Amino acid sequence: MTDSHFCGSPEHRISRRGWLGTTAAAGTALAADMTFLDVLQSPALASELQTRQKRVILLWLAGGASQFETWDPKPGRPTGGPFAKIQTSVPGIEISELMPKMSTRLHQHTSLIRSLNTRIADHGTAYNLMLTGRVGEPGVDFPDMGAVLAHELGQIDSEVPDYVSMYTSTEGRRKGKAGFLGARYNPMFLTDQMTPENIGKLDSISSVDHRDRAALRQLLAKRFSSDRPSPSVASHNTAYERVRGLMASEKLFDIDQEPRSVRNAYGPTQFGEQCLIARRLVEAGVPFVKVARAWWDSHGQNFETHLELCADLDHCMSALLDDLQQRGMLEDTLVITLGEFGRTPNINGSLGRDHFARAWSCSLSGCGIKPGTVYGKTDEDGNTVVDGEIGAGDLFATIFKALGIDYHKEYMLGSRPIPIADFGAKPVEEILA
Amino acid sequence: MNLTLARIVPLFFSMWLSIQCVFAGESDRALAEQIDQHVDAQLVAAKVSPVATLGDAAFVRRLFLDLTGRVPTRQEWQDFQQREDANKRLLLVDRLLDSPDFAFQLRNELDMMLLARKTHNDAWREYLLAACRENRSWDQLFQEILLPEYKLPDQPGPAAFIRERVQDLDELTNETSSLLFGVNIACAKCHDHPLVYDWEQQHYFGMAMFFKRTYRTRNGLVAERPEGQMKFTNIIEEEKQAEFMFLTGAKVDEPEGNLSKEELKRIEELVRKAEKDGKAELPPLPEFSPRKEFVALAVDSAEANYFTRNIVNRMWARLMGRGLVHPLDQMHSENAASHPELLDALAADFAQHGFDLKRLIRGIVLSEAYQRSSQWSSEELPPAPELYAVAVPRPLSPWQLSLSLLVASRNPETLPGLDKPDDWEQQRQQFESQANGMARRLEIPDDGFQVSAEEALFFNNSAQVENDYLRDSGNRLVGYLKTIEDPESLIHAAFVTVLTRPPSDQELQAMLQYIRAREDRRVESLQQVVWALLASPEFRFNH
Repeated sequence: MTDSHFCGSPEHRISRRGWLGTTAAAGTALAADMTFLDVLQSPALASELQTRQKRVILLWLAGGASQFETWDPKPGRPTGGPFAKIQTSVPGIEISELMPKMSTRLHQHTSLIRSLNTRIADHGTAYNLMLTGRVGEPGVDFPDMGAVLAHELGQIDSEVPDYVSMYTSTEGRRKGKAGFLGARYNPMFLTDQMTPENIGKLDSISSVDHRDRAALRQLLAKRFSSDRPSPSVASHNTAYERVRGLMASEKLFDIDQEPRSVRNAYGPTQFGEQCLIARRLVEAGVPFVKVARAWWDSHGQNFETHLELCADLDHCMSALLDDLQQRGMLEDTLVITLGEFGRTPNINGSLGRDHFARAWSCSLSGCGIKPGTVYGKTDEDGNTVVDGEIGAGDLFATIFKALGIDYHKEYMLGSRPIPIADFGAKPVEEILA
Repeated sequence: MNLTLARIVPLFFSMWLSIQCVFAGESDRALAEQIDQHVDAQLVAAKVSPVATLGDAAFVRRLFLDLTGRVPTRQEWQDFQQREDANKRLLLVDRLLDSPDFAFQLRNELDMMLLARKTHNDAWREYLLAACRENRSWDQLFQEILLPEYKLPDQPGPAAFIRERVQDLDELTNETSSLLFGVNIACAKCHDHPLVYDWEQQHYFGMAMFFKRTYRTRNGLVAERPEGQMKFTNIIEEEKQAEFMFLTGAKVDEPEGNLSKEELKRIEELVRKAEKDGKAELPPLPEFSPRKEFVALAVDSAEANYFTRNIVNRMWARLMGRGLVHPLDQMHSENAASHPELLDALAADFAQHGFDLKRLIRGIVLSEAYQRSSQWSSEELPPAPELYAVAVPRPLSPWQLSLSLLVASRNPETLPGLDKPDDWEQQRQQFESQANGMARRLEIPDDGFQVSAEEALFFNNSAQVENDYLRDSGNRLVGYLKTIEDPESLIHAAFVTVLTRPPSDQELQAMLQYIRAREDRRVESLQQVVWALLASPEFRFNH
């Protein structure tokens, strides 16, 4: 018999072996494990193992944050608004005074992109664009960034979730989707509570019975799958086999397990607590976590909105980067700070800024990024990109490359190849380490 | 694969036997026999012998799932088992096709194929149910769906197919083309299809032109404007005027309109108002209706190839686990059918017999090819799936799973099923509404379907599963098992009710041990046994 209820494809067998190798206790155990040596002999697999350790946290600014009040200030211009700019720890780079904590950390972790031109400025379509890296087409259900990265960085039988999605406030609430990658890569979505649905057992069954009952199911499953070599049947068993590990990861969502000092560093806001959960998750091996902070859609009172939201973002993002660095994890963890678009240079009659996708900013920190760099430039009023214009596909290619993933890689959808970064996308080499 | 004489002789024998049956007057298996001739011929050519035919228990389970959309009740299975009629499989097929369950099942399948991935719509589902109950023909359904009535006060059920897509012309065009003609033409929107010579940009825009003027009023009616043209630019930057052009290249010319400019302007204004305001006057329909032309063209005998082959292929794929043309939306010259003559023969039969879905389904399930086992115990890799040498385990659809969970978790003594036909239709109707919630939280399976961890967590830890399927009450399976003293009989009853088979020795021993170790909490242990059966892949798949 082959690997019992695995689908039997050679790929999965290798991935599983690779996984057993990497998790079979660190250090000496690895060298003793012959299967692991096997894996290292193949260059393709060695690089597979390298990307394995990479993690991503997406801080999603739902509704669209203003580039003027964050990474690309234009004080003194008619479009600039009331806030000043401040010098950062990198000579010559200035950001909004609403981001003081990040200004002192720029040289350590972070690169800014000030030249996104993504054209689409309605929430729904832009959300899909910025989370799938392409405009999309009817009839093809593209997976989002989380599902692709879970697929690329995770393991098929992972004991921890590989795509976790959280949000603050209902407006930011979009679950994310695995599209044609299939339900295996669906996000574990935190709805109204801070822990995922159905991750803890019911009180009506004891732990022992819960475990033994699963063994009973397993017995039936084994008999059924042993002579049915079907990947779908195998996925049923994989899903059930993951349950114990996923249930054990319930504690990852419990921030009471963190020392007081760490909790204080992140602060008491929901966004801060979710950033801390995100750190706990990636530390335990979860490859992709999305924390959505809402709601930045400041059609009215843009400046008051940003005064409040930027303070939270600045504090939590800094605390997260500090924490990751202190734990030696930042080298392998990419933190992406991004929304669906930016906001208009024009300040409307309600002191708001509207949707704007022609010249806006985002930031990348940590893994694979050259810290203290700025890429691209907008004109003095922020109306257009004058240097280094890039689109969503290019941003995705940059993210993939930073993580050591070949951005030319293709998924086959039936007979049709679909590159993981959109056709013609190029990474921004200037900000890559 | 090695082919020995011993393996191939029975194959020829079975072919000979099926030919004999035709002469013996069993002409109502004619379609099934045609299927087997084509499938067997390719098996012979590929030197592959198919696996054995399903045993009775597995056959009954598979057939119930496919024709009634649920597992059989214990009594339905035992009733079949006790029959001695040599023809009993054929009799069961006809019985199930005539049962009230068949209409519900076909309705659910059509809904999942045409709309349920987008939205749940009760009026649409009611409409489909009524149509399936009278076995309305596929060409009739097609016309009703694409040309829904234009009148208040009620939103007509069949309008939902267009209404839910009309806000996005690309989506309406491509999904109509994929779902109703088996042709995904999205690639041809921006350029002539790179791999398939059949599909050029003009086809994409030609198809879109038929829907360009379609809009929805605020109160959900589907209507058409009197005007609307499209232009497209090809890769060498030439601008072209789109024509009304079907996939086959057949065109429709628009007659000279007789409305004055002012009149057109007035109607456009009415349309704008009706789109925004449910109380606005309904604009008149134009004399020239591109959608009507489209429907006439699509089912016209000269152009109807795609129309008939698509539905035949989709019905085949649903029952056989893989389309004759695979993937289902890639019906073109570069992607030939695995059995081209068979597809032609089924399509011809379908068209000659009034686009009768029931007849088509009947033909398929009576074939030997349908009735093969899903077990492959050889060390060698299984043969290519397009040979249909071994059945593919198919994940239950959301409706099949949700309904089966309800049926299997009932007290089998109080649920005779079709064996008590008077009460059954009402009971089925009730199950159908109870199944709704669960069905809607499950994913509609696609090619390469994978079970999500979410689903496994839900089965493991949700109160809903415990309340709905494991409750200890008189009309439930757990409540019934509790009344059986002898543990072996009890386990036997649980297996037959949930999996339509007795336990193996190993399973029996494991279950006995499990229950005996929990004598202090007997009911809980029975709940756990039933849970293990319901959460098994054997229950989750049609195999």
